[in-house]
Amino acid sequence: MPGISDEFGKYNAKGIKGGEAVARQLDRLVTYIRSPVDSPRGLAARLRYLTTSVQRQEAARAAGLTVADATTARWLAEKQKPSKANLARIEHAYRTIRRDSVAQALRKRLEADGGTRIEIHPADNSRVPQARQRSAGVRSINVRNWGPIVDAWARGDQTGLNSAWIDLIQDLGSSWGMYEYVTNVGFAA
Amino acid sequence: MTEQMITDAVHEELERAGGDLEAAADRLLKRAVPDAMALLEATRKGARYDIVYYPDMPEILVSPGPKKPDQIWEARPRWTRPTPAAEPVTALDVNGAYLAAFKTHLPLGRLQHSTGDQFDRKRAGVHLITPPDWEWGHILPNPIGDRDTPGPVWVAEPTLRLIIRVMEQGLCKAPVIHESWTSGSTEGLLEKMRVALRTARQTAILEDDTVTLEYVKTLYSKFVSTLGESNFNRAIYRQDWMHCIRAQAFANLYLRAMKAFQGGCGVIRVTGTDELHVTGDWQRVFTEGRDLTEMKVK
Repeated sequence: MPGISDEFGKYNAKGIKGGEAVARQLDRLVTYIRSPVDSPRGLAARLRYLTTSVQRQEAARAAGLTVADATTARWLAEKQKPSKANLARIEHAYRTIRRDSVAQALRKRLEADGGTRIEIHPADNSRVPQARQRSAGVRSINVRNWGPIVDAWARGDQTGLNSAWIDLIQDLGSSWGMYEYVTNVGFAA
Repeated sequence: MTEQMITDAVHEELERAGGDLEAAADRLLKRAVPDAMALLEATRKGARYDIVYYPDMPEILVSPGPKKPDQIWEARPRWTRPTPAAEPVTALDVNGAYLAAFKTHLPLGRLQHSTGDQFDRKRAGVHLITPPDWEWGHILPNPIGDRDTPGPVWVAEPTLRLIIRVMEQGLCKAPVIHESWTSGSTEGLLEKMRVALRTARQTAILEDDTVTLEYVKTLYSKFVSTLGESNFNRAIYRQDWMHCIRAQAFANLYLRAMKAFQGGCGVIRVTGTDELHVTGDWQRVFTEGRDLTEMKVK
């Protein structure tokens, strides 16, 4: 059985990298501000979050929100609206800091009681020509050590997530290569 | 065995509360969601199909955002007709409507897309259909529910099956299916869980045990309402099941209205999940009682 796919999707298989799916599910487990960043309410809430302390402001700057303090103040006072590019930066900085601040608690929850069971749904083969279809079922695996995954997710590090995913699926046995790309990965915390 | 889990939980909380019924009921309410999930797992031990908790969901079943309605029409009935003068109306109530609806065709795995006007009884899911016209609005409600906008609509499996059933009785034309997201299905997936809850419910009614009765009610109603993308239950994401169970509850109510009508009663009002108002001798059609198959007077 092969390992890592060279040309995933060549025969029309559909799926995303396992690491991406894990990040998606981790994001679902975190409570973010629900109003979108382009709504006045959502924007104000994010700006308040990013400016609560000097440490936060520095973290925001490190996360790419490199505007003058006076500009942030004008946004907060609603005297000026952020440009589209800056809205994206605000959202990115907010998500990064929020992830970082919940990461340790989330990891603790995921590692409590001997780990968390994850359900892995392999890539969608249904549009692949019959002769080239490989059958792979839904698999479950218990993950005890969430450190590499949660850390990579908190850093926003896609490569790190993907390599952590490959390490993790080796436990599935010889057919692990079929789970490099998935349609969904599910778990609760 | 599984009923034991329910009684054990009640005993545990009663003991902890030291006989304070209200405090025990409160605690039971709080642990209902994880308890329901544990019950589900316990009832699936040694069963034929594994439960798939996190399948990839098609766009149509993903919640479009906070405070926006879901895209699946569940065909909740809301229908009243003017009462004929000088006829007494009886308001009837279906017992445990959502619990009874656990017996429904549920898709097992990942939903797969198909187009075209075909209906496969061995599969279940959601369908985009154009419902047929309804000419009997003056005596019986439309099986598609109280819908204002005409044209195609996404419905869950039970609604489609209900319309087909009504069609087979010659009351309307066939619905047109445009698109479907379906998977192989079974009607028995939640059967053991349903029987466990139903037995616990019956025992509680017989023994006049309000704490257990309330607990059982919370178990199944919260289970249904948190089956989808709920933040109160992240152990399962099955929006398809949630819509199917709800739609089945509404379809069951519709079928009871139909049964009353065919048994010679006049149907006056069909609303919500459990409300049925009729004229005439309803006791010839239904048995009075508190079991799932019986009806009680409101």
